[in-house]
Amino acid sequence: MVHAEERLALIECFERDGRAGRTVDVHAWPLTLGRALSNRMVLDDAYVAPRHASIGPDAQGRLVLTVLDTANGVAVDGRRHGAGSTCLLPEAGATLQLGQTRLRLRLPGETLAAEKPLPAAAAVATPWLLGLALLALALAELGLGLDPGADLTAWLPVVVGLPVAVAGWCGLWALLSKVFQHRFDFAGHLRITLPWMLAVQLTDAMLPPLAASLGWPWLWRLAAPLQVLLFALWLREHMVHVLPAYRRTVTAAVAAATLAGSAISLSFIHRATDSYSRAPYMSTLPLPATRLAGTVPPSVLVQDMARLADPLAARAKKAREEDEDDGAADEE
Amino acid sequence: MHLTGVAASLLRLGRRFLPQAWRAGWVTLASATGLWLVLSINAAGAATAEAAAAAASAPPGPASPAAESALSGTGQRIYERTRPRLLQVRTLLKTQDSQSSVGSGFLVDESGLLVTNYHVISQFALQPSRHRLVYATVDGRQGALELLAFDVVHDLALLRPADPAPLAGRGAVPLRPADEPLPRGARIFSLGNPLDVGFAVAEGSYNGPVERSFLETLFFGGSLSGGMSGGPALDDQGRLIGVNVAARRDGEQVSFLVPAARVRDLIERGRGAMPVTEPAWAEVTRQLQAHQATLTERFVALPWRSAGHPRYAIPVPQEAFMRCWGRGSPQAVRGLQFERSDCAMDSRIFVSGSLLTGHLSVRHEAYDGSRLGALRFAERYSASFRNEFMGVDDNHRTAPRCVERSIDRDGLPLRAVVCLRAYKKLEGLHDLSVLVATLDGSEIGVQGRFDARGVSLASAQRLTAHYLDGFAWSTPKNDSR
Repeated sequence: MVHAEERLALIECFERDGRAGRTVDVHAWPLTLGRALSNRMVLDDAYVAPRHASIGPDAQGRLVLTVLDTANGVAVDGRRHGAGSTCLLPEAGATLQLGQTRLRLRLPGETLAAEKPLPAAAAVATPWLLGLALLALALAELGLGLDPGADLTAWLPVVVGLPVAVAGWCGLWALLSKVFQHRFDFAGHLRITLPWMLAVQLTDAMLPPLAASLGWPWLWRLAAPLQVLLFALWLREHMVHVLPAYRRTVTAAVAAATLAGSAISLSFIHRATDSYSRAPYMSTLPLPATRLAGTVPPSVLVQDMARLADPLAARAKKAREEDEDDGAADEE
Repeated sequence: MHLTGVAASLLRLGRRFLPQAWRAGWVTLASATGLWLVLSINAAGAATAEAAAAAASAPPGPASPAAESALSGTGQRIYERTRPRLLQVRTLLKTQDSQSSVGSGFLVDESGLLVTNYHVISQFALQPSRHRLVYATVDGRQGALELLAFDVVHDLALLRPADPAPLAGRGAVPLRPADEPLPRGARIFSLGNPLDVGFAVAEGSYNGPVERSFLETLFFGGSLSGGMSGGPALDDQGRLIGVNVAARRDGEQVSFLVPAARVRDLIERGRGAMPVTEPAWAEVTRQLQAHQATLTERFVALPWRSAGHPRYAIPVPQEAFMRCWGRGSPQAVRGLQFERSDCAMDSRIFVSGSLLTGHLSVRHEAYDGSRLGALRFAERYSASFRNEFMGVDDNHRTAPRCVERSIDRDGLPLRAVVCLRAYKKLEGLHDLSVLVATLDGSEIGVQGRFDARGVSLASAQRLTAHYLDGFAWSTPKNDSR
């Protein structure tokens, strides 16, 4: 039995998937690392030298890493040190890379992160509430589209389809978690999916009528990009849950994919409509009871038309110039 | 393909050797309007149809053999007299001898001036660098043609041979004087070269001007086929009544002629003109501008008719030069009830095979959602407002640009959208679409759409103001609430 007081350091050896596997207690310095049996810590890694490195205190008592006879060297917290060099180790510990082996050296000087709380009892009920809200919203939308007295089977797509779709979605993410984290974390992904899905649905259901009530076409046009943004954030949450160690990379990848996808889609829309919205006008009409926007006399709208002429003329002129050589308008 | 655009209105008779696309075009028309599907033309083609027509056109009752021979004798006589003055007009690709359009034509003076339809030579008019025009006479002479002038609105063109010698001295087809109106039912003879099969005479009857047509067009009760476009239609003395221009394929023997008076105008205007060598977009635009100004003037001068709606006054056009069709939802429907009215002009102006313009249409749908409740009605009412296509950037027009407002028509709140698309080659002309929805009713509403093709900005504004003026409460507001 090892007493904690006797432990000078702890070395954790990371597996390929990033989890800590084997741990080694250090009770005395120096500690040598390498493939040879004579080392205190023997590493099973073809990219590690027989005697690769040693850790021990220097004359002042500070802990120092000495790189021995190795071609690959040692990276300490990401900084590379070649054979023969020495490196002062921080008192809080360090991450070491020897060949393909990643180690964490934990020292008494380390500062520990605070304890993470378990999900509270209330939070366990939240998914159920969110799920019910989502189902209610979907049923309301379906109900609006059905004529009165519609057959009960018409409700099946949502009653059955929505839970199946959500389960399938979370199941796929949980499989990814299983691959990367060895944990089929269905509940974790469900907790992510439900609020985001609800947010996307609510945006779709609320924003257009709100914009119509206020008479703000710009707000109406915002609904689609906002949904894309929400969906991207939603995906990011899932991916971060699968790869918690790569939060920044995942964020950058999702942002890049979203930007690239939006740019391509916008360029297609722009080519066909000469604007950045597929809808040429706000096509949601306000309910009479919620119509908050004022009205103007028809002459104002007729006056508005004048400002369309110049951009249209410019666009037509550009098309004529592009077409000048072949004049192919009559060929189709 | 080339003729699908034509299908949107009338079948132009300049044959472009695309019979498949042609028929497909007509099926499109039939299904688009929902009215003429059953009667769309079959594949048997014009030859059998014409034979049947000739048989059917024999005079009814106790016709003596002598009378019959006299009739066919007239046809013979007219053909013999007109034969030297009858031509086939071909548009060929400049780089090869394949023909891209074939029609007919006829000489109108001793020097060899000839008339055909604009749509027969439109490819040359718009792309003279890629096409050339040639004529072929009944006796097999051929030669190059020059385009002097055209009337795109009435679909006429005036040409002359590059070398006048072969056509000079053949005489001219005389025009029937304007002060000698032809009685309805009079026998007339249309000449031309149908489907490039050979020169032919088609007998039929004169039925006066086409009703509710903006442009004066004559109704010829006889068969016209592709390739006869631009050929003359003559009275029994061989004088010009009109020029073959189009036929309806959803009926039998419903064909159309451009009146001789328009031919007279064009000859006067174009006789001394310089031949066209550059793309004629500017001249086409000038003529369309004049047409749209007249059309707008006449349309705005007409008061709206009542749609008979209990709550709203809805603009429905007079049927002076438009034709309206109505349709309602079946009574048994559980959901949204509606009545629909569709009014459109038959007169459309052919600019090129893929561009017809210069016409108006007015449409509305009156919705009753009392069986649905307010929320369900709102969902369907919005969906219907969304389900309107404003067009995208294409070969001829830019993408639409729109303005939208909630407007007030004497207390009636409306949502109105106005979209304009500019023509790329017809500078200063636009397609206008106005979309209107009433906003006051929670279970009732009307949505209307007005479209004008090929109008100036000023006309678009006048037409929009006129259309919006057509919406109001049908009775004082308090009663209708």
